[in-house]
Amino acid sequence: MKSVISVEGLKKQFDNEEALKDISFEVGKGEIFGLLGPSGSGKTTTIKILTGELEPSGGLVEVLGYQHGAFKKSEYVRSLGILSDNSSLYERLTVKDNLALFRKLYNTEQSKVDQVLKDVGLEKHINKRVKDLSKGMKQRILLCKAVLHEPAVLFLDEPTSALDPVTTDSIHDMLLKIKARGTTIMLTTHNMDEATVLCDTVAFLNEGIIIDNGSPDALRQSYKTNDMHITYDDGRTKQISLSPENKVQLEAALFDTNVVNMKSDYPTLGEVFKKVTGKELV
Amino acid sequence: MNTGRIMAIFEKDLKEFTRNMMLFTTILLPIFLAFMYSRMGDGEAALPAMLVYLIVGVAFSAILCSGIMTMMAEENEKNTLRGLIQSPASMMDILIGKSLVVTLMTAASLTAAFLLMNAALEWSVASIGALLLLALFFLNVGIAVGLTVDSVATTSVYLLPIMFIFGFTPMVEIVVPEPDHFVRQITDYLPLYQNIAIHDGETVVPLLILAAWTLASFLYVTWAFRKRMSDEAK
Repeated sequence: MKSVISVEGLKKQFDNEEALKDISFEVGKGEIFGLLGPSGSGKTTTIKILTGELEPSGGLVEVLGYQHGAFKKSEYVRSLGILSDNSSLYERLTVKDNLALFRKLYNTEQSKVDQVLKDVGLEKHINKRVKDLSKGMKQRILLCKAVLHEPAVLFLDEPTSALDPVTTDSIHDMLLKIKARGTTIMLTTHNMDEATVLCDTVAFLNEGIIIDNGSPDALRQSYKTNDMHITYDDGRTKQISLSPENKVQLEAALFDTNVVNMKSDYPTLGEVFKKVTGKELV
Repeated sequence: MNTGRIMAIFEKDLKEFTRNMMLFTTILLPIFLAFMYSRMGDGEAALPAMLVYLIVGVAFSAILCSGIMTMMAEENEKNTLRGLIQSPASMMDILIGKSLVVTLMTAASLTAAFLLMNAALEWSVASIGALLLLALFFLNVGIAVGLTVDSVATTSVYLLPIMFIFGFTPMVEIVVPEPDHFVRQITDYLPLYQNIAIHDGETVVPLLILAAWTLASFLYVTWAFRKRMSDEAK
């Protein structure tokens, strides 16, 4: 599969700080790629470079066949949708006015606006002023704004940060619909459940370096162990390796009424991240 | 530049301007002054050129300059400018769209003010040209400050000196009545006094001074534009 996004040896230096040290990854057409990492790891910097907001200090960056020198070109800008953590709307204007502005700037038909509003379930709020909407509604309108021109690539920086679970689910549903239309999506998130549900591939970014990448399932598989973790009602824990010589111990634990929890060591993405970096994803 | 995109920004900013009470009420200022001055004395005599140009100065500084400055600063403060820059609209499309809105509002306010007052001024080609240069000067200063500030609150730091020095220039005659005072000598070279001088019959020197001010404002806006673009790329 030909890559839509190709990053090789990307570096970014801010004065004395090296935000990105040497990162490489590829994203195929129609994939959802998640860049995961703690605050300050370089996620937003990477997105800003890919969207042409920042110049890289080194390395090769190519999106949709355009190299970073061409990221200011109008045709490139037109093929992107961007939802960043500080995207905002015109609060005094209505939802309709806000979307009408971007519909005209992208020279898109009104039917597309109607469709995206319907997709996020906000078609009844079109005449409301943005300042009267909830945070979750505003985020959904921002997503509408980012996709109403049907971009080939959608960049999302923390799209569901600080949103309630219902709004988060609604945004996930919409992203999966957008992916089904063939749009390539690159997102950054702290939310491991979000990455597991949405992403085909994820990369762990820590201190400007990609430590590991792969599909969420493959990463979890590669960091799992053969251990069984047992917790007793008095708080004691025990780790037993799943091997034939431990069969008796394991069977005893199964029938021990003092055992309150037994679980295999199949880590979540967050646990995998902690294993490889020693850091929590916050 | 793209006409469709300029008009989209114009329509959006026109709605924003009319729904922003802080901006919208500025158009009342020249009208209120015209109403006040037209009732001074017996109310019959024509207003002197100095007072007419004071109203023009107020309109240009309080609506044209302040309007675009505030709109740009608000876009910066609320992060909406980034959304526009990330769209196919160029910075020129954005600036032209906004300039059209403040120009329209200034023209509407000045028209109403002129209808209220007995200006009785003869508008020569030179005085109309000088008026356009003055408008460009204020617009450029407003754009330049708007490009460099990050919040609406910061604009007042720039706006007050701009209004008092360049907008209310004829007021200096009340504060400093001695014509030979050095302050008066300096203010004689300020833009608004060139327009008054042109109305009084002088042409070449005041037009040259005014053109120099307008050129300086273009250099200022070019510097601010480049600074903004380079900051965006960092």
